[in-house]
Amino acid sequence: MALIEVRDLVKKFGDQVILNGVNLDIYEGDLKVVMGSSGSGKSTLLRCLNRLEEPTGGKIVFRGENIMAADVDVRALRQSIGFVFQQFALYRHLSVLENVTLALRKLKKLPAAEAKDKALAELERLNMASHAGKYPSQLSGGQKQRVAIARALAMDPAVVFFDEPTSALDPLMTREVADMMNRLHDEGVTMLCVTHDLKLAGQISDKVVFLDKGVVRAEASIETLSQDHADERIRAFFGREADY
Amino acid sequence: MNGWATFHSDLLEQSPLILMGLTKTLQLTAIISLSGLLLGIVIFYASLSRNNTLRCFINAYISFFIGMPLIVLLFLIYFGLPQWGIKLSPFQVAVFGFSLNVAAYNAAYLTSAYNGLDHAQMEAARAQGFSPRQIFKLITLPQVMRLSVPALTNQVIGNLKDSSVAFLIQYTEFFARIQELAATNFQFFKAYLLAAIVYLALVSVIVIAARLIEKRLVIPGFTS
Repeated sequence: MALIEVRDLVKKFGDQVILNGVNLDIYEGDLKVVMGSSGSGKSTLLRCLNRLEEPTGGKIVFRGENIMAADVDVRALRQSIGFVFQQFALYRHLSVLENVTLALRKLKKLPAAEAKDKALAELERLNMASHAGKYPSQLSGGQKQRVAIARALAMDPAVVFFDEPTSALDPLMTREVADMMNRLHDEGVTMLCVTHDLKLAGQISDKVVFLDKGVVRAEASIETLSQDHADERIRAFFGREADY
Repeated sequence: MNGWATFHSDLLEQSPLILMGLTKTLQLTAIISLSGLLLGIVIFYASLSRNNTLRCFINAYISFFIGMPLIVLLFLIYFGLPQWGIKLSPFQVAVFGFSLNVAAYNAAYLTSAYNGLDHAQMEAARAQGFSPRQIFKLITLPQVMRLSVPALTNQVIGNLKDSSVAFLIQYTEFFARIQELAATNFQFFKAYLLAAIVYLALVSVIVIAARLIEKRLVIPGFTS
């Protein structure tokens, strides 16, 4: 059984249809990449999956439970889904360590010492323990992203969502993030990443899902999509860079 | 120069009353600064509501109390309300009137700081599973308070200076006592100069305290 099953997911903002019947399965241990051009609905898809946006129609099943049901505990759902944002979104008034411990203390209700140990272990995992006392403004973009990932992982989520994780990073840092995601994948972390960064997609996944105008158009390897797909637009989208 | 001797002797004679007035001034300033801050935080919190009616009400509140001269508000409460059977003491009127006014200003400062925040942080907190109240308490408020320290400090200074208006509703604070001293010997210049020096000294203490607070709260790179 899939960890997340998305069936005929629809999201409208007024008259504007953003997602128009998306179907997607995410299994435990997957590192699934969703690609698409700007405005294709990638970020909206992620936001619907943890109910940051309210879907207009369709069905989302997470661990066998329909999370669009009225009685779903949305906050508990969100605690089991890590979310890494495009612009890192670290809490600027808190140190690196506090950024990671905050949810552990206030949501998981861990004692301060236990939360600190857990946070330091996650930061260590991402080579950020030596920066624990720093503030977000004292970190580079890549370091901020690693803290954001540590913050997400500290909650032991069932899956981690990445929303354009490298759009604010230079190529070197992009490579760092890709290596880290691959390492996490090897460790068994389930991840769903939306990006339009073809290099990142090529570095972290053999297969990608192509989302276009709110619909999944294809799911295949980048090589197949760039060379053999029947739709010329899809071939053009995936053929734009070859050096990934 | 005989004026100095008379002034000095009257000042000594009236010093217990003047000191009492000074205590009342400090008391009023402290109370309205605290109540104005707390009420300002409540108003700011309400201004973040998704409820349009509540937001309109909060905007109207802020515009109304910032737009209305303080003296008009105090007179309205002190002289106007008794016509409706509500009679408050000068102290109660001062605390009530000032708090409403100061809260409106403080809410406006906090809102202004909030508008400068990176709102992705609140989104991240929602995604982590924090409730709106937790986000306000743990993420929003600590940041807007830090960013608002200079404006809030200026407001405390303004509260101290504006508290002198309270003598017009028979609240015998420091400036009212200085008025009495001046009326005793007609040494107006000396009396008001003394008042100015005392206010300046008190403002200096507030400024020094504010700098210490700012230093204590400083976070590298944390600006709006």
